[in-house]
Amino acid sequence: MFFSLLSQWLRAPFTHYRLFHNFVRQDFTGQFAGSLGGKLWLFVTPIVNILIYSFMFSVVFRAPMPAEYDGIPFVVFMMMGYLPWFAFADAVGRASTMLLEKAPLITKVMFPVQIIPAVGTLVPYMVHGIALGLFLFYLAVQGYFSLLWLWLPLVFLFQFLFTMGLVAILSALCVFLRDVQQIVALALTTWFFLTPIVYPVSMIPVEYQPLLILNPMHSFVQMYRELILLDSFSVVSFLVIVPVSLFTYLFGGWVFMRIRHAFGDVL
Amino acid sequence: MHSIAVENIHKDYRIYERPQDRLIELLTRKPRHNLFHVLQDISFTVMEGRSLGIIGDNGAGKSTLMKLLVGTLQPTSGNISIKGQVAALLELGAGFHPEFTGRRNIYLNAALLGVPDANIAEMEREIIEFSELGDFIDRPVKTYSSGMYVRLAFSIATMVRPDVLVIDEALSVGDIAFQKKCVERMNEFRKQNKTMIFCSHSMYHVQELCDTAIWLEKGRIREIGESHLVVGNYEAYCNSRSVDHHEPLDINAVEDRKIKDCRVIYTMIRNLDGEEIDSIEPLTDVIMETKVEILADNLTCNFGFAIMRNLSEIMSAYLTTDLDDVPKGPFKKGEILTVRSRLNAVSMRAGEFHVLGGVADASGLLWYETKLSNLIKIKSNKGVGSVVMRVDWSVERG
Repeated sequence: MFFSLLSQWLRAPFTHYRLFHNFVRQDFTGQFAGSLGGKLWLFVTPIVNILIYSFMFSVVFRAPMPAEYDGIPFVVFMMMGYLPWFAFADAVGRASTMLLEKAPLITKVMFPVQIIPAVGTLVPYMVHGIALGLFLFYLAVQGYFSLLWLWLPLVFLFQFLFTMGLVAILSALCVFLRDVQQIVALALTTWFFLTPIVYPVSMIPVEYQPLLILNPMHSFVQMYRELILLDSFSVVSFLVIVPVSLFTYLFGGWVFMRIRHAFGDVL
Repeated sequence: MHSIAVENIHKDYRIYERPQDRLIELLTRKPRHNLFHVLQDISFTVMEGRSLGIIGDNGAGKSTLMKLLVGTLQPTSGNISIKGQVAALLELGAGFHPEFTGRRNIYLNAALLGVPDANIAEMEREIIEFSELGDFIDRPVKTYSSGMYVRLAFSIATMVRPDVLVIDEALSVGDIAFQKKCVERMNEFRKQNKTMIFCSHSMYHVQELCDTAIWLEKGRIREIGESHLVVGNYEAYCNSRSVDHHEPLDINAVEDRKIKDCRVIYTMIRNLDGEEIDSIEPLTDVIMETKVEILADNLTCNFGFAIMRNLSEIMSAYLTTDLDDVPKGPFKKGEILTVRSRLNAVSMRAGEFHVLGGVADASGLLWYETKLSNLIKIKSNKGVGSVVMRVDWSVERG
């Protein structure tokens, strides 16, 4: 039972590839159908956000850069954390309404529902993956490239799995408790500022710094920054990322599959 | 070979007064819900290539049963087994994305139904043709009229050629011409030995398209059988209810005899062979008969029969008041009269009724006594409506 649920969860996007593909396409283009700017908005939103945070933290608050990042512009430092975070936050933020939006489909058509959290996570990761890719290309041209960058896709994949696990749990919970929607929005803002993204770790009082290990998103951000900007591999972060991501992904999937049959009754 | 077997399924909904009760129950495992039984004791089988209609009032559990069959809901207990691929049309275009064109939605919808893209490309032209959408196929679905919507949805669902097709009220939208096409398509379906489940308020369609029918009432199967019989009984039930019919007819209720001049011994219906019957075939001839005992000398009286659905509604009545060729007396005390009236080609098509036989005074205004017959059932036949008449057809050129 346990393993058949998990295998259904793991295999759904592959065994139902056509459906998965169509859903992704629908979700991806559906976001912008009927809007004038179309896919342009994909880039405008993060760029504007980045400009705001850069202004706030490098001009107004003048966050001091840690010594090892000396000579790296603050914007670049911040974006390395912000772009991956944005993919995460976008996916988790949409998790709560994901199943509710598809209610007519879930109650009227029989299909593997577990595809929905997978699609809902993949689309933001595709969108922000493109932005991240463009930015990395720019950095490579600027001379930051190193062979360690080959780890990046793997780290991004683990972040994706971590997100998908959370999305699965949250989307399923929200079917039963609509309050999750508000809680998620609040939690994301809190989480964002508790993660050293728009400010360096060194600004946190030293006695609190060890607590950051409890925040997986910090490990991801740290991993990206060190790989890309410092040309070093953060073993500590990697040792956090792998088990946490895999556990979240499998646990989220198991929870989702366990309560999936009740969706029809409540939606 | 059965295609669908439903064994003794029950479906309960848990009703929580407050949303947090659901959570508390989950955590404390102490029940905090009220059970609402949507379906109880539902069992039936549908053989391969047969079609089943589901009828019943609103809230009888039809939609829940359909959802259980499709698999979007799980029964609380019991088993459902379905052989083959199921395509459902429970809601028109449930999988449509309003911003996308009809063409894109064909692919999306077919993917939902589990058809590979390669096959859809083949079907695409056929689907567009069948749906009669023409140039609209390349416009966003949100610009479609509801008729166009259902046409596209129906075309896709039937074009993917599932083994089992489940349709809920799809035909009620769409113009007559398209409805006709749908019926043709569904009949084609039956010829290909596919199984169909069809839920509708259109009794005509259920009768035309389904071999058997289930009449659901308050979550239970009230009747299951040949579709025209079930539909007939359901229609009769609807008709009898539309008239205020709270108390069932009680034959013995008419006992208040104030006038002691005569009494009615019985009222009944006989067939032409003279046997007492309690059911009639529409369009046959029957005889209404009542027996009267005269209790006073020199009595002149009139006779009458009425066909009643209930005590307050006379469907049709026949009196001797204006007739001169019927003996009306005077009768002597102790005489027994047998009054008969022949009904030619009974034109009621469905339902049940009583015959009221009675004796009135010479003027026909004062009724001495009346007596109801037993409940007479009409054996419903194929057709729609409460009345059936004998017809002669002719189709001529020019």
